[in-house]
Amino acid sequence: MRPAEIDLRVISRGTVTAPAGCGKTQLIAHTLAGHQGSKPILVLTHTNAGVAALRGRLDRAGVPTSAYRLSTIDGWAIRLISSFPGRSAHNPEILQLAAPAHDYPAIRDAAWRLLQTEHISEVLKASYAHLIVDEYQDCSVPQHHIVYFLSLILPTCVLGDPMQAIFGFRGNTLVDWNQQVCTHFPVVGELATPWRWRNAGAEALGQWLLEARGRLVTGQSVDLRSGPPEHVTWIQAVPPNDHTQRLAAARAVPPTADGRVLIIADSRNRAAQQNFASQIPGASTVEAVDLRDLIAFANGFDEKSADALGQLLALAQSVMTNLGVPELTRHLGSLQRGTARNPPSVAESRALAFAQSPSLTGATELLLALRAQPNVRVHRPAILYGVLKALRDASPGTIPLAEAARRVREENRLLGRPLPKRAVGSTLLLKGLEAEVAVLVNTEGMSAQHLYVAMTRGSMKLVVCSPNPVVG
Amino acid sequence: MARIRKIEIANFRGIQRLAWCPAPGINCLIGPGDSGKSSVLDAIDLCLGARRNVQFSDADFFDLDITSPISITLTLGCLDDAMRTLESYGAFLRAFNATTGAVEDEPLVDAEVVLCLNLTVASDLEPSWTLVSERAAQQGIVKTLAWKDRVALAPTRIGAFANVNLGWQRGSVLNRVSEERADASAALVKAARDARSAFGDQAEQQLGEALGIVTDTAQELGVNIGAKAKALLDSHSVSFGGGTISLHNESGIPLRSLGVGSTRLLVAGLQRQAAGKASIVLSDELEYGLEPHRIARFLGSLGAKDDAAPLQVFLTTHSPVALRELSGDQLFVLRRSPQGHEAYPVGTDNGIQSTIRLYPEAFLAGSVVVCEGASEIGLLRGLDLFNLEQGGVSLAALGVALIDCGGGDPDRPYTRAVAFQILGYRVMVLRDDDKKPTPAIEQAFIESGGAIVAYRLGRALEDELFGSLTPEACKQLITYANELHGDLIIEHLRTASNNTLTFQQVWDEIHNTGALAAEHRATLGQAARIRKAGWFKSISWMEDVARTIVAPDLPHCDPGFRELIDQVFGWAANAPR
Repeated sequence: MRPAEIDLRVISRGTVTAPAGCGKTQLIAHTLAGHQGSKPILVLTHTNAGVAALRGRLDRAGVPTSAYRLSTIDGWAIRLISSFPGRSAHNPEILQLAAPAHDYPAIRDAAWRLLQTEHISEVLKASYAHLIVDEYQDCSVPQHHIVYFLSLILPTCVLGDPMQAIFGFRGNTLVDWNQQVCTHFPVVGELATPWRWRNAGAEALGQWLLEARGRLVTGQSVDLRSGPPEHVTWIQAVPPNDHTQRLAAARAVPPTADGRVLIIADSRNRAAQQNFASQIPGASTVEAVDLRDLIAFANGFDEKSADALGQLLALAQSVMTNLGVPELTRHLGSLQRGTARNPPSVAESRALAFAQSPSLTGATELLLALRAQPNVRVHRPAILYGVLKALRDASPGTIPLAEAARRVREENRLLGRPLPKRAVGSTLLLKGLEAEVAVLVNTEGMSAQHLYVAMTRGSMKLVVCSPNPVVG
Repeated sequence: MARIRKIEIANFRGIQRLAWCPAPGINCLIGPGDSGKSSVLDAIDLCLGARRNVQFSDADFFDLDITSPISITLTLGCLDDAMRTLESYGAFLRAFNATTGAVEDEPLVDAEVVLCLNLTVASDLEPSWTLVSERAAQQGIVKTLAWKDRVALAPTRIGAFANVNLGWQRGSVLNRVSEERADASAALVKAARDARSAFGDQAEQQLGEALGIVTDTAQELGVNIGAKAKALLDSHSVSFGGGTISLHNESGIPLRSLGVGSTRLLVAGLQRQAAGKASIVLSDELEYGLEPHRIARFLGSLGAKDDAAPLQVFLTTHSPVALRELSGDQLFVLRRSPQGHEAYPVGTDNGIQSTIRLYPEAFLAGSVVVCEGASEIGLLRGLDLFNLEQGGVSLAALGVALIDCGGGDPDRPYTRAVAFQILGYRVMVLRDDDKKPTPAIEQAFIESGGAIVAYRLGRALEDELFGSLTPEACKQLITYANELHGDLIIEHLRTASNNTLTFQQVWDEIHNTGALAAEHRATLGQAARIRKAGWFKSISWMEDVARTIVAPDLPHCDPGFRELIDQVFGWAANAPR
C-alpha cells in the first residue's frame, strides 16, 4: 500500500477535500490499516452500496475488521436510537420504515437530539476511537447535525467534495459546504493526485479533469476541445439528427477487451434512459435502489383480474426489446377466437395457459418464455429478474406478491448492484461507480456538479455528445 | 476493574429479598449466624462466576418454594470500555445513580454506565443468565454476557480449598497474574520419558515472571517457600491436562501441601497482583485457617488499608480480630427484616469506629447492653459468671454483648446505643440515675424499641448496692473494699458522713440489730463512690464483688433491686431467634 498523503487519525476535527478519483477510499483504507488501538474507528457513509463498496476495498487491503465499524449514517442512527429508545423518545413506529419519506427524517432528528443530550457520550467514547465520515457533501442538514454532535464527543474527520454534491432535491436539503461544513470542520487538506487515471495509464486525462474541476468550482465553463485528444472526444449534436448522434456516441468502444462503458443520460428523464438502453446494443439500465417499477408492478398485479395478462405483457415490454407485443396480442386474439392460421408459439401457449388458469407460477413461465424468444434482449434486467424472484417467492402463497417484492428490493439494497458492461443511467445512479469509458449523451441542463461527476466516471476515455463544445 | 454497584437477590436460600449497594473496596458482612451472609457470597459467585453449568436443587429456593424463581441481579459498574460499547451491549447499557442506588434503564449524563446481569432459576432448576434491559425486553432482544467477558469478570473465591489457584488450571489466579502460558505440550512428551526434572527448568523459564511475583508475594507475606518458587511438572498428575503445571517450592514440594492459612494468604496476595484483570474477590469466613496476625496480613493484602481500593472484596467473618482490622465503612450488618434482608453499613459516625476497636464482639452479637461505665460492665459480668457457675446459660451464649461507654455525659450511652439500634441490633441501656439523660433522647430510644434499666431514685450503682443488699452482704462489701484500699476507706466514710459515722458503728449496728439504717446505707453508698476513688470502680473489682457478694445475696436483698437485675437478664434471655 502506498504511503498516505494525509493521516486522518491525527485530525481531531477537520475536513479533507477529496476530488473524484484521487484516492479517498485508499486513504481511508490506509488510515484504518494503520489503526492499532483497542477501540475501532467508526466509518460512516451514505448508502448501503457505498458501505458494500468500501467494505470490499478494506477487505482487499487486508484491513482487520476489528479496526473499524462501517455503516450508513442512517443505519447507524437507527441502531443508536433503537438502543436508547427512552432517552431518544422517538415514536417506535418510525423504525418500521413503513413510510420512509417521513420515517428517515424523523430518525435523523431523533438521533442528533439524542446525541445533543450527552446521555450516551460515555458509551460512544467507550465504543470508538475516531469518527470518519465519507462522502460528506451528500449529507443532508439533519445528517450533518448527527455528525456535528458526534464531533463534540469523538475526534472527527470528514471527507468529501462539494463539486460532487448532486443529491440535493426537494425535501433533502444538503448541508451547505462553506457555511456549515467548513466552519465546523476546517479544511485541513486536499487530495491532488489523480490515482484513478494514473493507474489506468491516462494521467493526462486525470490532470485535465482536476483543471476542469478548478474551473467549474469558480463558475467557469470547460472547453472539451482543450482535453487530451487521445482521451477526450467531443461529438457535436445537431438537430434534427441529434438522437442518432447520441446513439452513435453511446456505442463508443472501450479501449480494453473487458472494458466497461457508462452512458450518462438525463437525470430527470427515466423514460429517455430506458429508451437509450433499448436502442443501444448490449446496453442495460442501472435502476434506482427503490426499484420503483418492480414495486409498482407487484402492488398492482392481481393474477385473477381480467387485466392480468395485459399487465404482464406491459411489464415484459418495458424491460425487454424486440418482443413484438402488438403482434403477439393480435395473434392471441385470433387463437382464442379459433380463427388463427398459425399454431401458437411457446410464449403464446404460455399466455393462453395463463389466461385460462391464472397463477403466479404461470406468470413466471410466461415471462421466461417471452425472454426465450429469438432476438429478444433484456435491457432492464434488474426489474425483470426482480419480478421473477418476487413471483417465485410468492407463488407458494405464504406471502403476498407485494411483500415478496419489498424483500427483493431490500435484499438488492444490501447486496448492491452488479454493473452491466454497458450501463445506461444518470449521474445520480452512477455516482460512485466507475468504468473505463464515460459517455455523456446529454449535457443540457446539467449543473457544474452533475457535469463534474459525469465527466469523472471514466478512467481512460471521456466521450461527450453536446451541441456546444463549451460546457458548464 | 469492574465493581459490583448493586446486588439484588430474591428467593435464594434463606434470603427472600435483599437489595444492597456495596462499597467499591472491602465489604465485610457480619451479623448473627444464619443471617444469610454466605448466601450473599454464593449469590455473587453463581451469578458472576464463569461456569457453564451449575447444579441447583429445591433446597436453593427460599422456603423450598420452587414456584417463586430464584433471581440474582448484579449491577456492574467501572466497566472496561470494551464492555460498554454501542455494538457490544448497546441496548443493555444502563445508568446507576450512586447517591440513590437507583438503576435507570438507559444511560444518563453524569451517571455511571452499568450492565445488570441476572441469574434466574425457575422450577425446572435450569439456570439462565441474561442481561437486564427493559427496552431490549420490549423489542424481544435477549442477550447475556459474552463468555470472554464472563471470564474477565469472574470473581476469585478464596475458599477453604484455594489449591486450585496453585496450578495453571482453568480459573486459577495464576492465569491472571501474567499473560505467560507455558507451552508444555512438546515438553510433556519429552518429560513423559525424561521424568520431571527434565521439564522443570523449561517451565521455570516460561513462567519466570509469575514465579517472580509468587516469590515476592510469598516473601512479603511471610509464607515460607524457600528462596524462590519453582514451576515443576506435578508428579501427581497422571494426565497431561491444564493442571499439569503447578507451583512448587525450592525443594520441589508442591505448594498445595502448604497449610490452609498459608495457601489462602498466598492466593490473596496473588489476587492483589492480578487486580488489573480480575478485581472481585470472595472469601467466606475470612479467618479460616489464619492466626490473628495473619488475619491482618490477609486483609491488608486484599487492600483493607489502601485509600484507593485495588479490589472489590466480599467477606464474611465471625472474628473480632478481623473486625478490629477493618473500619466501619468496610463493615455491613446483614439482617433479616420484615421486608426481607437488609445490609446496614456500620459507618464511621457516632464514635462507632472506636467501638469496633474496643468491642468488636458486640458487632458479632445479636443483642447489646450499653453500660454507662466500667462498674456496670463488671456488675453484669460478675452476675453472669455466678449464673454460669450455677449451671445457667451465659450472656455470651445468649448472643449478648456488653459495651462500656466510659461514663461522662449522661446522653452518651444513647448515642452509642442508637448507633447499634440503627444497625438493627437489640439494644439495652444500663445506666445510673445520679445524672439524668435528656428525656427526649431517652424517649426516642424507647420508641425505636430500645430497653432501659436505670437505678432507682437518683442512685448510682454503689447507692443501689449499699441500699439494697442484706446487712451481711454490706459487711462483705466493706470488708472487700478494706482489702483493696486499706485504711483509705475510713477516710472516705469520715468525709461522706461529716465525721458522724464510723465502721465500728456500722459493725455494731449490724451485729446488734441485724439491720442497717437507711441513712447509714446512704452514707456508705456515698463513701464508696467518692470521685476518682470509688471502692469498686474497675471492671475486675466490680466483677468480683458481683460474683461473690451481690449474686449470692440477690434472693435475700431488696426486691426492687432484684427486679432491676431480673430485667436485664430476662431481656437477655428473651432474644428472638
